[in-house]
Amino acid sequence: MYRVSNLSQAGLGLKTGVLLWLLWLLLLPLETVADTKQPKGMPSTMVLNPAAELWRDVRQRDMPISGTTQVKGVDSGVLINANGDKWRKFRMQQLIPIGGFLLLGILVGLAVFYMVRGKVKIVGGESDRKLPRYTSYERLIHWFMASIFLFLAITGLIILFGRPLLIPIFGKEIFSIIASASKEGHNLMGPLFMVALILVFVKFVRRNIYQKGDMSWLLRGGGIIGKKHVPSNFFNMGEKSMFWMLVLVGSVIVVSGLVLIFPVFGQSREWMELAHVGHAIGAILMIGVILGHIYIGSIGMEGAIDGMTTGYCDLNWAKEHHDLWATQMEKRGEAIANEEVNRFSDPDTNEYLGRELREADK
Amino acid sequence: MIAQFIDGPLWIFSLSVFLIGVTWRIVTILMAGNRKDLATPRGSASAGAIRTVFTRSVYERSAATRGRLLLVAGYLFHIGLFVLLFFAQPHIDFIAERITGLSWTAIPHWAFILSAELAFLGLLLLWIHRLLSPVTRMLSDLDDHLGSLLVFLVMLTGCLALAQSFESLRLIHLLLAELLLIYFPFSKLMHTFTFILSRGYTGATMGRKGVNA
Amino acid sequence: MNEQFEQGVEALRQQIDARISSYFSSCVHCGLCAEACLFYTETQDPRHTPIYKVEPMKKLWRREHTFWGKLGSVFGWVESLTEKDFADWETLVYDSCTLCGRCSMVCPVGNDITYMIRKQREGFSVAGYAPDGMKEATRRALKIGSPMGVTIKTLKAALAHVEKDTGLKIPIDKKGADYMTLFSSMEIVNFPEYIESIARIFDAAGVSWTISSKAFEATNSGIQIGNKEAAAELVNRVVIAAEELAVKYVISPECGHAYTAIRWEGPNLVGRHYPFEVIHILELLEQLKTEGRLQLDYKDSTPMTLHDPCQIVRRGGVVQQPRELLNSVAENFVEMKDHGAMNWCCGGGGGVSANERAEPLRLHVFDRKKKQLRETGVNTIVTACANCRIILEEGIEHNDMDTEVISLTELVADHLTASPEKK
Repeated sequence: MYRVSNLSQAGLGLKTGVLLWLLWLLLLPLETVADTKQPKGMPSTMVLNPAAELWRDVRQRDMPISGTTQVKGVDSGVLINANGDKWRKFRMQQLIPIGGFLLLGILVGLAVFYMVRGKVKIVGGESDRKLPRYTSYERLIHWFMASIFLFLAITGLIILFGRPLLIPIFGKEIFSIIASASKEGHNLMGPLFMVALILVFVKFVRRNIYQKGDMSWLLRGGGIIGKKHVPSNFFNMGEKSMFWMLVLVGSVIVVSGLVLIFPVFGQSREWMELAHVGHAIGAILMIGVILGHIYIGSIGMEGAIDGMTTGYCDLNWAKEHHDLWATQMEKRGEAIANEEVNRFSDPDTNEYLGRELREADK
Repeated sequence: MIAQFIDGPLWIFSLSVFLIGVTWRIVTILMAGNRKDLATPRGSASAGAIRTVFTRSVYERSAATRGRLLLVAGYLFHIGLFVLLFFAQPHIDFIAERITGLSWTAIPHWAFILSAELAFLGLLLLWIHRLLSPVTRMLSDLDDHLGSLLVFLVMLTGCLALAQSFESLRLIHLLLAELLLIYFPFSKLMHTFTFILSRGYTGATMGRKGVNA
Repeated sequence: MNEQFEQGVEALRQQIDARISSYFSSCVHCGLCAEACLFYTETQDPRHTPIYKVEPMKKLWRREHTFWGKLGSVFGWVESLTEKDFADWETLVYDSCTLCGRCSMVCPVGNDITYMIRKQREGFSVAGYAPDGMKEATRRALKIGSPMGVTIKTLKAALAHVEKDTGLKIPIDKKGADYMTLFSSMEIVNFPEYIESIARIFDAAGVSWTISSKAFEATNSGIQIGNKEAAAELVNRVVIAAEELAVKYVISPECGHAYTAIRWEGPNLVGRHYPFEVIHILELLEQLKTEGRLQLDYKDSTPMTLHDPCQIVRRGGVVQQPRELLNSVAENFVEMKDHGAMNWCCGGGGGVSANERAEPLRLHVFDRKKKQLRETGVNTIVTACANCRIILEEGIEHNDMDTEVISLTELVADHLTASPEKK
């Protein structure tokens, strides 16, 4: 039975693998782009256009020639940015379709997983005791990051996929408004993600350092392989990996985002192109992983979201998913009776408090 | 058609509702009256009132131990909103053109953006905290959330219209601002003005007693 | 019962003045007041959030003073105040609020929440929703003249003891004296040392004083339960007695709410200015010291800390005097972390100490004071309120602490030059 309860975490491990593989696929076409400098199917002997030499030089195809100009500015000596076209093609022909299908694939994958597996229940049922899991500050910064992330993800996806997806629906005129709004909103809220990332990093980093036992959790696929229950700490290997991905990929996204919205530090066009590619790939990757995170928190697993909403998690849930931590907490006597947890959230307790005390008065 | 309506009559209407409503609210509070305090004062009531109106903007240290982020968020939101509302170029232009005819120096664009970001940061933290903390969740009612939502939407649509190149985005921003103005006098948003009264009354009472409140 | 409830609602309605209206209009439900309230910090029960305690009055205000409330009441969308509200809130209003006023100091929009709770009690007491202990105390105060049932006989017996111990004559009903002294029943019954102390101090400083046999009780249960008629009657007794004796000053004793009652609320309750001044004993002592009439001969080296009684300090404005007095008799005076106008309440003010059913809660929230005391590392706590003193002693005993509670007036008396108890 334990095996079953850990399936969805296994799903996360599995998904990460698939993701990495797809990411590799995503990078493949870059090679192809590099190989196809010369357009195919051109006759080998052809009369040279007299202007070809000139344009070749202007475009700096063979060697990087920088012209001289009185205009002061980054790249002002470059007439034609040869890499720009490469970047444009990559964005239109690889990034958008592959990235789109990747996200779609993840959604379909999650749907299929849900249909096959259903909601992961607490095997022992809900217990009559709870463990304090997240403090109010921890929950505050989590949901702060979540709301910023959601906004940035939606506006970002509109910017990236709007042309193929939204123009057919809304038409070009309306889409231009949506796109402008998304871009302005994305740029304004972006730096707040950095703030959220720093707050979350500082608060959660300690519990996310890999510990003994994490490796075996991974090797056993979070419980999917073998029959034994796989022990885990406050965070399991999957969650820890997600945290570090959030931190590392998140940093890439933040830094590349800053490069893109503040073009005042002398970054060249190539840097901007690179930043854009990093920003987009990182963001798609992260949205994919967060989709899994949202899946587990919402419909994927019973009791998983409670810690983040109420601050308390069910004791049985904790024992099934984070037993090392749960056992420790229980030993320390931190488990609290449900009534004790709920005593302040029951809307009728006012009446009870009043009645009890008034009766004591008589 | 709709554009003209939002830009013309609705603007006039919402501004009137706002001005009349706020005045009416303040007048009704004042009209309720307070009984004259007959106790011999130890200190000056008016000095106390004026002092408290200002000193209450500084947080009380001993009550700040557990809500530090919240206090920071409160300051960020209020200062950010104030700055961006009154010192951003587009707003100054709008106020000059539509209301006062007077304009003043705007802050640079980067400061505008920064103040907007700080205001968003503060508002989001405060709102999430409102939803999470048992105390505020118990206290909050529809009005609190509606007020937060409207302010948030006005700020959001404002930031979406930052490019200033689409008339429709400006109109959406204006429409929401108008809704906010209409809702304002009937809501907790009134604390923008009534805080002076409540701080003043408390400050006066405490001032008479010779306590710096 | 129903008629009484209606009267309660009407009484509550009467309380909604400009202050209350502005307070309700300004409150943004930020919940910061919770952090200032010892009932919240020690129980973590959100219902102990100060502003939540005035929810019934808010309901009434919203229905009768706001646009949505008026509109909603026409269409029946807005609930009206019910008897159940009174029943449900009674304990929040009386058991978990000492009217200490700390919340009023932290509210960012400046709401005097304590004032609101005090006003709400007016409605609750009329409707009959008040703790029996406080009802009884008020009844005794009106009938016998003291909430604890102390009569002039009891006082005279106590005074006889004091006269015997000190060899001083205690002037009773002396016309034309400068000062008329009041006591709290607690002092007469539990701390007669206080009476002895002021007798000796006044003798040493040459103060012309007297005690009225008609009005010696300073406490005012009417203020605590929130019944302005009872409160006015109790204040009126003092005013009449003082006028009869033609004194210049009435001295409020070491009792917190008595000072608020006679000094700040009194003139408004009886509806006129006094022909005399009200002065707190600490104010007078400090004044005597400054004038050089009080010769204090040595300083105590025992480390001491001061518990500020809420109604004298935060709500009364006697902030510096106790500090100066204490500094003049104690070498090692250690302030608590939160002191003066931001001190934490002992947990027994505002009538809570007269409310037997609130005792478990009161002893529980005493933890706040315990923590404060621990932080100072001092074992002697000086205070200037008989009620605080009793509550502190009970809390200390309940927690098996080794702390001594002494009265500031008594401490000053002990340090008088030629004091018989010189250590």
